[in-house]
Amino acid sequence: MEETAPNISRRHFLSVATGGIAALLAIGFAIPSLIYIIGNALKRELAESWVRLGSASKVEVGVPTLFTFTIERQTGWIVSQEEVSVYVLTENGRDYIAMSNICTHLACRVRWIDDQNQFFCPCHNGVFDKQGLVVSGPPPRPMDRYEVKVEENQIFIKVA
Amino acid sequence: MTARFGNWLDARIGWRKVWDTVFIRKVPKVNWLYTLGSASLFVAVNQMITGILLTIYYVPTPDHAYDSVQYITNQVPAGWLIRGLHHWGASAMVILVFLHMIRVIYYGAYKYPREVTWFTGVFLLLITIGFGFTGYLLPWDQKAYWATTVGTKIVSTPPFIGEFLLRIVRGGQELSAVTLTRFFGVHVWILPALLLLLVGIHMYLVIKIGISAVPKRGE
Repeated sequence: MEETAPNISRRHFLSVATGGIAALLAIGFAIPSLIYIIGNALKRELAESWVRLGSASKVEVGVPTLFTFTIERQTGWIVSQEEVSVYVLTENGRDYIAMSNICTHLACRVRWIDDQNQFFCPCHNGVFDKQGLVVSGPPPRPMDRYEVKVEENQIFIKVA
Repeated sequence: MTARFGNWLDARIGWRKVWDTVFIRKVPKVNWLYTLGSASLFVAVNQMITGILLTIYYVPTPDHAYDSVQYITNQVPAGWLIRGLHHWGASAMVILVFLHMIRVIYYGAYKYPREVTWFTGVFLLLITIGFGFTGYLLPWDQKAYWATTVGTKIVSTPPFIGEFLLRIVRGGQELSAVTLTRFFGVHVWILPALLLLLVGIHMYLVIKIGISAVPKRGE
């Protein structure tokens, strides 16, 4: 080191120093820019939360019962209200299942038809049974379920 | 490896000659005041980078402008930094360009053969002020709205054509969505295009003619 140090010319030192400062500036711009552009994609926007549907005594044993509620969704700076409908079913008054009324085929709304004892989707004649399993038609999988809990006779579901 | 690639490229596009002309050119012995032009250019590049990034999230309509700016500032990662750089860079650019002009006047650097450099510089100053004026409205907050209401009102002062000029600037009688979008268009398309063109000419002349030395006493 001591041998080579005097060999560094003023011109060489200055050009390396200038290049170094330029490189630092470039990095200083590049890193925040990258964070700014891709940072949103790394963030999970939707937090899970328990939503109260209503009293468990409203649910008749063996009959899917419809509950509706609205949740607020924020995309960017725009806040919108979204209506969510859920069918709740119990066979014994202790264990509950909650099913989304959104058809697993193309996201139309399914309806519980009491006389036929099944869910029916009007868009493409998808049919599900009481438990939400596919009976006939194009739906590729059973109706989506929510995690349910009952506290002090109130039904809660976990919404993502 | 890099040297070989440099040679390969130089044999085809001759970049070394351009590089040397721009960066290895001879300059007289000058002082730190002669860096104000480069400082202005640096801040202009900063404004371009951060300004382009801001358009990723900003929306120039009355129902979204304010909210999208708040979103950039408070929600987008590093958004506060990008907006802050653009905000403070704007003030810095006006100050630096102005000081640069003062230096050129003080040292008489506008004289023959540098008149055209001076003319382009005058227009660059006006463009910088135009950037500041149009950019001030874009956050669409109270300060922006009323500052632009007052600022645009000034063009209505000439007799006979004043009202008509005001309608052109505002895109109507009142400050509105039309004003916001036209200010945005001017701020991100018209002025940057003019700026790049004039900076190109300005720099070409600075390199072609060379910079002036500090004048001696009695000169």
